[in-house]
Amino acid sequence: MIRRLALALLIVLCPELSWAYDIVLISGGPALRSHERFKVNTHDRYWGNFVDSTLARVKELRKEFGPDDKITWLVFRPGYIRRGLEEKQDYLKILEERGHLHGLTPIYFDDKDQLFTLLQRNGSPEKPLIARLEYYGHSNKKCWMFDYSNRVDGGAIETQVVHVDDLENISGSSFTPDAKCVSYGCHSGEEFSQRWRMIVGRPMVGAVGKTDYSAGGLPKLSEGKGGSWAY
Amino acid sequence: MGLLIGLALILVAADLAHPRPLPTLSAGNPGSLPEPSTNPTASTLAPTAATPEPEEDETIRKPIVEKVRRAALPAAHTPARHGDTSGSYLIGQRTLVEDYCGWGWVRKEGEGWNKGRWIAIEYDPEVCPVPHAFLPRPQDDKDYLYQLYGDFAPYRAYEPQADVWVEIFLIRGFLSLGPAKDTVRRDPPHHGSAKPNRFAERGANLR
Repeated sequence: MIRRLALALLIVLCPELSWAYDIVLISGGPALRSHERFKVNTHDRYWGNFVDSTLARVKELRKEFGPDDKITWLVFRPGYIRRGLEEKQDYLKILEERGHLHGLTPIYFDDKDQLFTLLQRNGSPEKPLIARLEYYGHSNKKCWMFDYSNRVDGGAIETQVVHVDDLENISGSSFTPDAKCVSYGCHSGEEFSQRWRMIVGRPMVGAVGKTDYSAGGLPKLSEGKGGSWAY
Repeated sequence: MGLLIGLALILVAADLAHPRPLPTLSAGNPGSLPEPSTNPTASTLAPTAATPEPEEDETIRKPIVEKVRRAALPAAHTPARHGDTSGSYLIGQRTLVEDYCGWGWVRKEGEGWNKGRWIAIEYDPEVCPVPHAFLPRPQDDKDYLYQLYGDFAPYRAYEPQADVWVEIFLIRGFLSLGPAKDTVRRDPPHHGSAKPNRFAERGANLR
């Protein structure tokens, strides 16, 4: 009897023994240069800002996590297809090759509903809880825009953004209790982070001000605007 | 004996029950910041931690050479007609609002601009590009009038400056009507007193 109780206690206290957790990295899509080229505040001269920064982060995570830890890389596919058509390149193939170098295979999503489905977890081996979530892409203080300035000039298609009003579709039960979330998009720390915390129930670090991907590697806060990171 | 095994299991459990350590980012990245407070309002953090020196293996990118080329017609005139120009149409006036999503205003033939609708245009390059795609710069057809052929999309576009939703027009053809007599003196959709362009900063990637 005591043995059974101890075993039950073990299972309750140590879910890690049963299955691992997941680290989810999300890459948004690039803008089209035909829309952006003549703007003062131009975006995405380089198509792979959000790919390279995500993979730079993977490199960092690999140093701290073991080789068997699971990293899931979610990539917004339509943005790379359209940018590839514009520049006559197969960017999906290129990003898959780059991911392969880091031991990652991208999982594509085409709209926010698919993303919500991919973020639904129940703690089973097939759907492990999310211990860490990071977003690399366009955003403003209210919205993640996977599609920014791609299908329409200067905006994003309704079905391809996650607005703060959509956050109720992401369940806090998909995350571990101590899960950490980071948005590397612009202005997320000005409202999105707080709404995420209130609705999803997990803290999210976001930028107050712009983030800059132009130097490669992980994005930095833009200089000269007094930006900071905030929860 | 069973009691001892049970005790041993509990001890093992206590040892393993500590939360699994999460990865920490190196200095300068938000993951290395302290635990968030319980205060739901934003608590800003030390800006010094946010602008790190480049690491050794960090990529410093070279300037990007633009690959997209626009048409470069000598005069600011689009083709008079392009695409499918059959069926009903809307009168459109190209209007530029800096850093604001969209193409301009449209209205029905015979109506005034007070009943106009602000639209963003979505196009398939193989069906019909936007008119200004034929010009050296997008602003070269500012305040030009067109007959626009196509349909409104069943979805909308998100305008990030004003946090509003804009209607999308799926263009399949246009007919150029030349310069308009006057600018449309209306602000595109926005919230209350927050005029368009009030927050003239958005997006990533400055260069």
